[in-house]
Amino acid sequence: MADDTEDVELDFAADEQERARRSAVIRHPLASFFHLFFRVVAIVAYLLSDWISENFASCFVLIITLLSFDFWSVKNVTGRLLVGLRWWNQIDDDGKSLWVFEAKKASHDNNIGTEAEARIFWLGLIICPLIWICFFFTSLFSLKIKWLSLVVASISLQVANLYGYLRCKAVGEDGQHADSFTGQHLLQRPDIIFGIL
Amino acid sequence: MADEANRQFAGLSDVSISEDIPVEGDISVPMGSSSSNRQRGGEDEFSTLDEPVKETILRDLRAVGSKFIHVLYPKRSSVLLRDWDLWGPLLLCVTLALLLQGGAADSEDQGGPQFAEVFVIVWFGSIIITLNSKLLGGTISFFQSLCVLGYCIMPLTAAMAVCRIVLVGGSGTVSFTVRLVVVTASFGWSTFASTAFLADNQPAGRKSLVVYPVFLFYFVIGWMVLTFSPSQ
Repeated sequence: MADDTEDVELDFAADEQERARRSAVIRHPLASFFHLFFRVVAIVAYLLSDWISENFASCFVLIITLLSFDFWSVKNVTGRLLVGLRWWNQIDDDGKSLWVFEAKKASHDNNIGTEAEARIFWLGLIICPLIWICFFFTSLFSLKIKWLSLVVASISLQVANLYGYLRCKAVGEDGQHADSFTGQHLLQRPDIIFGIL
Repeated sequence: MADEANRQFAGLSDVSISEDIPVEGDISVPMGSSSSNRQRGGEDEFSTLDEPVKETILRDLRAVGSKFIHVLYPKRSSVLLRDWDLWGPLLLCVTLALLLQGGAADSEDQGGPQFAEVFVIVWFGSIIITLNSKLLGGTISFFQSLCVLGYCIMPLTAAMAVCRIVLVGGSGTVSFTVRLVVVTASFGWSTFASTAFLADNQPAGRKSLVVYPVFLFYFVIGWMVLTFSPSQ
């Protein structure tokens, strides 16, 4: 009988840890921080470009470097950790290019991000490209053409991740709503852009 | 006779092919995430954040490095095509643009490649060449083509570095001749390396239609490299 009570205590301890982990507001603080860090710093650097350096080239290199780090970390790390989505491209033996979008089912792993993290992820993913699109129009209408090239490069880096993760989300939701518009629409024409790419 | 035939194939009568044959195999994609990980559950369960991120970074860096080496010896290999990435082209483009700075081009009224122009020429040019080859019915994919064209800028970037070193010594006829030789050699190398990858995917008779935009592309970049003159 003593053994039974001991076993029950051990289970409680393990359960408590699990419960604490599950009820934590943010399970991956480092990933959440870095998800937003590079994007926001790049936007701030663009806005404060006059104060950072007079040389256009160094500003360009700084922003592109920040956005490259952001692209890599969002694609390879934070998407997996915060929302359990992943996308990549693979070339099979025939040389055909195949885009793969993967969504993890929530029941299989409880290390996936919480709701707060998911909100951080999607807000960061959507708002920053919108801001860069605003910069596109401001630089276009103020005829600062060399800044336009920077903005176009930034938009392409940011929108690539956004599009990839939206496709992953459509794949994930396909199991629940088989005839939801987004899921079916994107899946029936799976390579709507990527068929060309 | 029939008995013999039956005996030969006797063992096969037990074989039944089930409807759902499990498809097995491994597609290893060293692009930062592996598709076979789902079975292992490898990358999804890790204790610290740093460890697998470091592995991923190292793997990507090694992939980029191996592609640079493959451009040095351009034989038909699958490395540039199979595991494409655009980090190398981005790095090369930035390096080339930075090397083309500091010339007589820095002041706004002089002609000469500004930083953003190099970027636009390289990337827009690559996109146009890729569209051209795809419209001609090439089998190579969009990003694979961008990858090859970008990595094959490496000889011209090296030539730019050599030119800048030569220009430190002076900008007379001798230095111009040296620079001309270097730039021509690297231009030929770039064109040869990229056509080794790109032209193979084309049907015969179309190869020159694909090659000439590549020729023009590297010619323009070589021209920018050759006509670079340092500010007084």
